Amino acid sequence: MFWGVRFSSIVLAVLGCFAIQMLAKGGAPYFQTLIVLAGVYVTLAVSLNLINGITGQFSIGHAAFYMIGAYSSGVLTNNYFKSAHMPELAWLVLMMIAGACFAAIAGFVVGLPSLRLKGDYLAIVTMGFGEIVIIIVRNQKALGESYGMTVGTKIPSIFLTSLLAVTCIALCRNLIKNVHGLSFLAVREDEVASSAMGVNVTRVKVTAFVIGSALAGAAGAVYGHSLGFFSPTNFTMDISFVILTMVVLGGSGSITGATVAAIVLFYIPEWLRDLKIIPMSGFIGAIIATIAVVAIVKRTMDGHQARPTKTAIILGSIVGGIALTIALRFALKGLPGLEGTIDGNKLRSVVLAAVLVILMLLRPQGVFAHHEFSWNWLKKLFGKKPAVVA
Amino acid sequence: MDFSLHLVAAFDLTTLPQQLVNGLLNGAIYALIALGYTMVYGVLKLINFAHGEVFMLGAYGALFVSWYLGYRPDGASPPASYLTLILMLLGSMLVCTVAAFFIERFAYRPMRSQPRIASLITAIGLSLLLQYSAQIFLLNGTPQTIQAGKLSPFVGNVTLNLRGPDQAKLDEAEKLKPSMTAAAAAFKARLPLEKGEFDLSPEGKKLQEEMRVAERKYNEAVNAGTAHAVKIAIPKGQVVLFVTTIFLMAMLTYLVMFTKQGRAMRAVSHDFNAASLMGINIDNVIVFTFLLGSALAGAGAMMYCTFIPGTKIDAFTGLTPGVKAFTAAVLGGIGNIPGAVLGGLVMGVAEYVVVWAGYDSYRDAIAFVILIIVLLFHPGGLLGSSKVEKV
Repeated sequence: MFWGVRFSSIVLAVLGCFAIQMLAKGGAPYFQTLIVLAGVYVTLAVSLNLINGITGQFSIGHAAFYMIGAYSSGVLTNNYFKSAHMPELAWLVLMMIAGACFAAIAGFVVGLPSLRLKGDYLAIVTMGFGEIVIIIVRNQKALGESYGMTVGTKIPSIFLTSLLAVTCIALCRNLIKNVHGLSFLAVREDEVASSAMGVNVTRVKVTAFVIGSALAGAAGAVYGHSLGFFSPTNFTMDISFVILTMVVLGGSGSITGATVAAIVLFYIPEWLRDLKIIPMSGFIGAIIATIAVVAIVKRTMDGHQARPTKTAIILGSIVGGIALTIALRFALKGLPGLEGTIDGNKLRSVVLAAVLVILMLLRPQGVFAHHEFSWNWLKKLFGKKPAVVA
Repeated sequence: MDFSLHLVAAFDLTTLPQQLVNGLLNGAIYALIALGYTMVYGVLKLINFAHGEVFMLGAYGALFVSWYLGYRPDGASPPASYLTLILMLLGSMLVCTVAAFFIERFAYRPMRSQPRIASLITAIGLSLLLQYSAQIFLLNGTPQTIQAGKLSPFVGNVTLNLRGPDQAKLDEAEKLKPSMTAAAAAFKARLPLEKGEFDLSPEGKKLQEEMRVAERKYNEAVNAGTAHAVKIAIPKGQVVLFVTTIFLMAMLTYLVMFTKQGRAMRAVSHDFNAASLMGINIDNVIVFTFLLGSALAGAGAMMYCTFIPGTKIDAFTGLTPGVKAFTAAVLGGIGNIPGAVLGGLVMGVAEYVVVWAGYDSYRDAIAFVILIIVLLFHPGGLLGSSKVEKV
């Protein structure tokens, strides 16, 4: 039974990745690139979740390992692909492994000394490492300096990207279910207590760091080979922040959360890119409405008197927000200085940042908190609810 | 071996004093911003990523005040006075204080009871929000400069002569001067006979060549004489910045160590709950510290943009100084006021030493390299208390 379930789930996962490729094949090239990038971001978010959420080590330099994977595999492809005479997909798998190895070595070198530091200090050391890697790459002629590097052979593969993402999810999920993974969780909860229980804290921290960096390196290899071109600007501190945001917004420690947040946060800016021109009055109105609704919802949720049900709060805030936005749109229309319009493309970073702040204020533990997707959870959602819910 | 010889050859000791001074003065800017970082961290235990953006808003505040007083890029400007500068300083600090008040009240206060990482993400989000909003709403993101040339009374350099030029070599150069003037005169006399200055006959070309050779010889001789000299040019504006930083450091140390408010701040920093049990109004202390730190950022922004000519103000003005100042604060031991200044100065000097050694493209990396090395051996920073995470 056990092996049956295991084997069939592996087959299903591979088939699922294949199905994604089949479905995407008909789409426009832009759409296919989006699918690949979404897979890359899921891998990055889930691997950072292993370091940040599951082991509790605060790293904000994840883009450095991603960068190392991309550059090392790019150099290997440019130098050896022609003489290797290998099929493209097999070569890409090899490159993913190579990128993972290089990133893992970097992760080990950085992790071993710096994991002695705690909290904010570890954060700044990892951030500094990211900056140092970027500056070094910018000064290497062989790596294309600031202009970026072109990978000679483009190998875009939706199948392998999705497989990498699924493997990453499965790896993390299985890790925290077995005895090695439990020690990761123990280190997050209390280092002193877990070391008293016989957990080798150093080893656990470094292992988590190395596995996380290796997965990021593999994602980097996929990214480089599917786009064919990248430059140091693709791996700046902002990218690290975006990955970190995905982890925290989804719910620190929740693999489901990291996956969903990675997909949503990756698609929102792409979707906003299409919005052309927004009237100024409507935008200001929407801002005021959002602030008002958030304030009201926050007040209601914090209140100790009879609380309305969750559905009522959500529905009420959506309806109220839209109504208020429309009302303000017309009220503000006549005011001087608000007749103009704004380019929607410029607004997307603002909207994303605002969503981030608002979500953090309303639900600091992340959307999924520490919950994971499971069949029982689905059954509860759609079937009969248990009578006693405190 | 060859490599190391090349390294040594690149070091020109006569320019070192100048670069060290540049480093110290530049470090003063980092130190000034780091003071704000360190104050906020000391009490809230939160890396205030939005500090750089408060700095940016302060720069805009100073810019708008200077525009209001008539120093627009196009118009004729009234004579500058210290009053203008003080008004700009106040305007910048006011903008920062108001911004900080809202940030504290609506973003950081609700997050105080939440896990650290959540408040950190809020700080990052706020930083991005302010940056991108400024890019859209403040002058469409076009970079602006304060009319520092007209406004600042501290223009120009003070020059210090550490070692005079080599007089013997200068005298030799002086001897070459007559031959140079003679060659120049000969060429000048020839010039009317030619068709044009750029269309010379062979005769004229020969004279021109002679003149050039004589000029080059003279210049080389003069350079050989003056290369011996060691001069330091100190920009006056940066000196004001440096002095202000040291003064503020002293004031803040006094405030924190010797006043009642400072004692409350230290208590809150030490233990939140115990302090509130002892009758300290935590909210007031935190708001006070936060506003003070942000006002410092405002002061820093105004001086940075006015006294250093050519500073551009746009939505990302606060980004690099913010990150560097934060690094400086951690380097000196975050939460420690003299530490922040020491960290800033060390970083500034290190950057310019790297530039002096000929690796100017690695200038931004050296800060982090030093930070990582210091943290690995002394995890509390240079002046901080050292608490090692046992691994």
